[in-house]
Amino acid sequence: MASPTHSSSRSIQRGGRPVRLYRRLRIAAALAVFLSLTAALVDFRELVPVRFGHWLAAIQFVPALVAATAGVMVSAAILGVLVVLTLLFGRVYCSVICPLGVFQDVVSRVARLAGSRKRPLAFAQPHTRLRQTVLWAVVAATLTGWGGLGLALVDPYSNYGRIVSAFFRPLLTWANNAATGLANKIGLLSVYRVDLPLHGLGALVVPSLVLTAVAVLAARKGRLYCNTFCPVGTVLGLLSRKAAFRIAIDKDACTKCGACFRACKAQCIDLRAGAVDFDRCVACFDCVGVCEDHGIGYQFSWIRRPDAATKPRERRQAVASDTGATREPRRTFLGRSFTLVAAGLWAFARGRAAEPTVGPAGPIPPRGATPESDGAAGIRDIDPLRRHAISPPGSIGVRRFLDRCTACHLCVSACPKHVLQPAVFEYGLEGLMKPRMDFTASFCDFDCTKCVDVCPDGALERIPVAQKQAEQLGLAYFDPGKCIVTTKGTDCAACSEHCPTKAVYTVPYGNNLRLPTVDRDMCIGCGACEYACPVQPVKAIEVSGLRTHGLARKDNPRQPKALKPPAEGDFPF
Amino acid sequence: MHTRRDFFRTGLTLGAAACVLPEISKVFAAPASSVPGTTEKPLLSAVRDGTRPAMLDRALADFGGIQAFIKPGQTVLVKPNIGWNTPPERGADTDPDLVGHLVALCVGAGAKKVAVFDRTCDKWTDCYARSGIEAAVKAAGGEVYPGNDEDYYREVALPNGRILKSAKVHRLVLESDVFFNVPVLKNHQGSLMTACMKNLMGVVWDRGFYHRADLHQCIADFLTFKKPDLNILDAYHPMFRNGPRGRSVDDVVEKRMLFASRDIVAIDAAGAKVLEYDPAKVRHVALAGQMKLGVMDLSQVDVRRHAMA
Repeated sequence: MASPTHSSSRSIQRGGRPVRLYRRLRIAAALAVFLSLTAALVDFRELVPVRFGHWLAAIQFVPALVAATAGVMVSAAILGVLVVLTLLFGRVYCSVICPLGVFQDVVSRVARLAGSRKRPLAFAQPHTRLRQTVLWAVVAATLTGWGGLGLALVDPYSNYGRIVSAFFRPLLTWANNAATGLANKIGLLSVYRVDLPLHGLGALVVPSLVLTAVAVLAARKGRLYCNTFCPVGTVLGLLSRKAAFRIAIDKDACTKCGACFRACKAQCIDLRAGAVDFDRCVACFDCVGVCEDHGIGYQFSWIRRPDAATKPRERRQAVASDTGATREPRRTFLGRSFTLVAAGLWAFARGRAAEPTVGPAGPIPPRGATPESDGAAGIRDIDPLRRHAISPPGSIGVRRFLDRCTACHLCVSACPKHVLQPAVFEYGLEGLMKPRMDFTASFCDFDCTKCVDVCPDGALERIPVAQKQAEQLGLAYFDPGKCIVTTKGTDCAACSEHCPTKAVYTVPYGNNLRLPTVDRDMCIGCGACEYACPVQPVKAIEVSGLRTHGLARKDNPRQPKALKPPAEGDFPF
Repeated sequence: MHTRRDFFRTGLTLGAAACVLPEISKVFAAPASSVPGTTEKPLLSAVRDGTRPAMLDRALADFGGIQAFIKPGQTVLVKPNIGWNTPPERGADTDPDLVGHLVALCVGAGAKKVAVFDRTCDKWTDCYARSGIEAAVKAAGGEVYPGNDEDYYREVALPNGRILKSAKVHRLVLESDVFFNVPVLKNHQGSLMTACMKNLMGVVWDRGFYHRADLHQCIADFLTFKKPDLNILDAYHPMFRNGPRGRSVDDVVEKRMLFASRDIVAIDAAGAKVLEYDPAKVRHVALAGQMKLGVMDLSQVDVRRHAMA
């Protein structure tokens, strides 16, 4: 074994100047991911390819976890890479990949430049109990069937997505629209007005709170949010305790100048004890980048340190009492946590397995109206709140969707028609902020699959366009008593005009008029009819959501496929 | 990708000029009866069995060529139907080759600016792109304008309208020197047919008002405010059912026809006949005829028939 004198790290270089390379690489990589992902989330001009946005989001921890538990092999591999990365180098995810983490660094930097944080952050004790409480709350939520809401509330990536969706995208869209008039006047037609549907106030509560909390904490306390609230930080912290390479202080080289802990945004360098609480370290390398003595840096930690006179367990407890990192034996905590996580995932997978998948003309919830007798009663009998809980294409059913969607709003950004809007209580509490089809805002484009192409966690299954064009999200109900054709005695048919499948068609009515009617077997619930209906204030045709999506028939039973052979001959006049 | 369009642009523009020049000389040589705008019968040029650009050239020749409409330095509005996010073969939007050729003719005639827009039903950027019209217009030297921006619309009064008394109309309609209306002929589930008259709904901001108030009367009323300088109706493969959006290519029937007329009622009456409707049953056409906004009775129209094959 190595001699006791061989105590200085082999991984720390000797030299005159600080090692800035790690930090620079970290900043470059973090900005690349952060700016690209932000661009995808802001993208009101549809300039970012949807698959690019998809992959940037699919490498995030929680989306990868959700998709992996649903059996998506690529996501399982991504999750494996994230775990291995953490086991090798610590919480690189938190500093490079997580957009909420990088956002905090940006806020923190701005606050420091603006002089609002005069004193450097001192070493602080960890909030171990709070961290574990949040993590267990999410596990408990998953066990009790509230995992969909739980993950949505705590996932840092989704929280960042919602902040962009609720505030940054509307702000930038508004700025674009303000600049449009001037740009067009000088002949710049490439700038044009973009519709700006604002989210419902109820959907803004969580993003507002999170933005405030994260911004204030980041400005004043660096990465405190990541080390108290964020359960992804907690999980990765548990892994990074066992990392192969950990940031540590080389006591021989260290001159205790204090530059490292003043640079530390995680408040995890205890200079007095000469220890780094690597659980909370987010691997930003700011400390390494300022140390002129090369007294802090990565050390390979999987072999027993020769200077460790005590046994691992005792040493660990000594470090623990120094840093206060663990108040209970770690093994107990880890054991309990992983049992719970495993149980949660099992329950999660089991709950989903029980869900019926899409089949031919799936079960239709009980309603007053039959397809034959379309009438006012048909709509009135539907719970008015649930009627508008229409889950997006590819979600297959509301239950499955609410279990998997973490409400990152990437699809809300990608939707060119702005028909995807965050729900408030349309799905019930558990659907808070999750996208729904809002046919007062717009309707779903028949040939568009951007939402299913961009979804990172499989909440929207990536179905081909032909399948999307047959997926019944809901069914249209027509109320002839409200229709202009009957009330005013004039032609209209805006509903039928917009219907892409011609489930809504017209039949001769009265004196040379055409009255709409619905063939619900052909209806896909895209909402074009409802959106187009000019009747105010209550539309004469409305789509009611299906809890389990159905499958529409594609052929038209009333029409022959071929119309007539091309006509040869002269003008008919 | 653009070989066909390029071919039309280069080859057919020259070819058209070759066709048109003798026609123009005929026009000038002929007595005043063939000069439009007099009290004579309105002229309807009906062409069949050619490519759309070639049929357009033939039809324009009846009116004295594009130069009869555009003086150098003028601004031109070309208003196709770009209402739907569908490819050209579906026949839900005006054909891009036809629109592109018309724009090229306008540019060739010395137009200062050739603008194209529609207030679409599907998302306008999708419609402009998928219909092929944006690319065709840009390749021909024209510009596409947004139709979704309310800032472009100006309130105008229609004192002679029966129901439509005021409307917000796109600035390009109000400001352009020359106005070409270039719709595609289609069945319509509500108004029975959409052709030249109904295409003008796409220059008005609030279409909901039309639908609520009385669709056909509002369509006719708009003509009391403005009539296009020339209507060109794309009836190459009209949509016979499931209009105006259609479900598939099965809804169109190849007729290989194109009409042009200054009389918007006459040209729509011709369109109705192609779709096998009685023009009098298409109520907005009948109303416009009653309001003397045009001639619905084709026996009172000077129809020039041309078969190109």
